Amino acid sequence: MIKLVDVHKNFAGQKVLNGINLQIRKGEITVIIGTSGVGKSVLLKHMIGLLRPDRGKVFIAGVDLGTLSSPALVEMRKKFGMLFQGAALFDSLTVFENVAFPLVEHSNLTVEKIRERVMEKLDLVGLHDVDKKMPSELSGGMKKRVGLARAIILEPEVILYDEPTTGLDPIMTDSVDNLILAMQQRLKITSVVISHDIKSTFDIADQIAMMHEGKIIEAGAPEIFRASKNPVVAKFIGT
Amino acid sequence: MERFLKIFAEPLGKRINSVIHSLGHWSLFLFESLAWLPRKPYRMGNLLRQMEFIGVKSTPIIILTGVFVGAVFALQTGKSFAMFNAETLVGATIGLSLTREIGPVFTALMVTARACSAMAAELGTMRVTEQIDALDTMAVSPIHYLVVPRMIATTLMTPLLTAIFDLIGVIGAYFVGIKLLEISEGAFLDKLYYYVDIRDFFGGLIKAAFFGFFISVISCYSGFTAKGGAEGVGRSTTRAVVASSVVVLITDYFLTTWILEYFSRPTV
Ligand SMILES: Nc1ncnc2c1ncn2[C@@H]1O[C@H](COP(=O)(O)OP(=O)(O)OP(=O)(O)O)[C@@H](O)[C@H]1O
Ligand SMILES: [Mg+2]
Repeated sequence: MIKLVDVHKNFAGQKVLNGINLQIRKGEITVIIGTSGVGKSVLLKHMIGLLRPDRGKVFIAGVDLGTLSSPALVEMRKKFGMLFQGAALFDSLTVFENVAFPLVEHSNLTVEKIRERVMEKLDLVGLHDVDKKMPSELSGGMKKRVGLARAIILEPEVILYDEPTTGLDPIMTDSVDNLILAMQQRLKITSVVISHDIKSTFDIADQIAMMHEGKIIEAGAPEIFRASKNPVVAKFIGT
Repeated sequence: MERFLKIFAEPLGKRINSVIHSLGHWSLFLFESLAWLPRKPYRMGNLLRQMEFIGVKSTPIIILTGVFVGAVFALQTGKSFAMFNAETLVGATIGLSLTREIGPVFTALMVTARACSAMAAELGTMRVTEQIDALDTMAVSPIHYLVVPRMIATTLMTPLLTAIFDLIGVIGAYFVGIKLLEISEGAFLDKLYYYVDIRDFFGGLIKAAFFGFFISVISCYSGFTAKGGAEGVGRSTTRAVVASSVVVLITDYFLTTWILEYFSRPTV
């Protein structure tokens, strides 16, 4: 579904991505792990064309992102949902309007249907009675969950999650993990998840990829990962 | 010589390079905004909200500044013209200057100070908190969603505000001229009607529309290119206000040349 070939990215001389090769398969959950600041968020932004590689290519369903015009890129992004690390809620809109935004833009559902869908998704992420609040009135974890509801509302083909469970309590973490799993099983959604939580990583992943010094140093099924001989990987997952 | 190159030429070259670089980026931004302009969906809600913010909410400050600019202008010209016994020309002089120059330029500067600074700050904040990226990922062009309504609203509202400024300015001048300087009302108005043509007025509004277009694109661009936290947003706001003001004054010269050629009566 998504393929990165030899992707390089520098920021003002700082090498962040240094030859990333990674394949995200359709209908699977791929979890990306790695130390803080290694470039996971940067990598995720390459998958949806928010950042362009200095060198290398990104393919979505076989199409090279670098060759798309700006309207074609907009069209392509309709297949995607994304949760940002900082939630990135529109601060001039209410929680309800934030979650409804993709529906209002890209569907022709009636107002009642939209209301129904939004309330259902807010319920799924464990939020009640917040729909009229502004994002500035929410806690960090609540913002994250509103962002999550917004990312999944269109039930797109691909969802990119940047640390969906960071800042949530253990119970909420479990329920978000279950939500991601349910989206995959029920709707065959392809997911890319960035996570710092080793337990949930092994709970949900079909494929795990570990980033280190600008490269993917190990990628594969959780069992393969557990048995990895790479000392960096072993140290990180604590085996 | 080598030292001279190191100290002066090198930084200067870098500076020129970076200015040309940003001009290039700015032009791309401008063309992209124009390319998205006619595309559907038309976001009437966004447009009306911007028109309210830029137009309606700027009206009080335009009235306030207009009345005082007209008044102080009448005071100055009244005193000076009295030296040649030409006080009756005060109305005409003010009418011409207001409609042709002061109205559009002052209004554009007030809109820059009040609305464009807010625009740059708002878009800058949206940029650094990834809200603009979020729009992108939701398959909504940020240019279409954020820039186009602001561009249209500013281009339409600046001329309207200019018309208000012109009118209020003349009223301010009227009161100072007639009530304070005791210029004869008949002569004041006669000369005003005689010398000020409707084409002067419309020429000024055309100018104002161009100003509105430029300052909105500059301010949106400034916000879109904001980098790094609150400080970056502050910097982008300052840049928007300075660049907009400078561009208003510079384009004014070229627009005036053009408008004098095509819009005004050949005799004046
Ligand atoms: N827009 C940018 N401009 C300059 N440098 C950037 C930019 N975005 C990211 N970086 C740099 O790239 C590196 C990787 O950042 P990134 O946000 O991808 O880390 P991360 O792996 O997501 O970390 P975390 O787990 O803490 O979220 C950092 O050193 C950061 O300073
Ligand atoms: Mg990150």
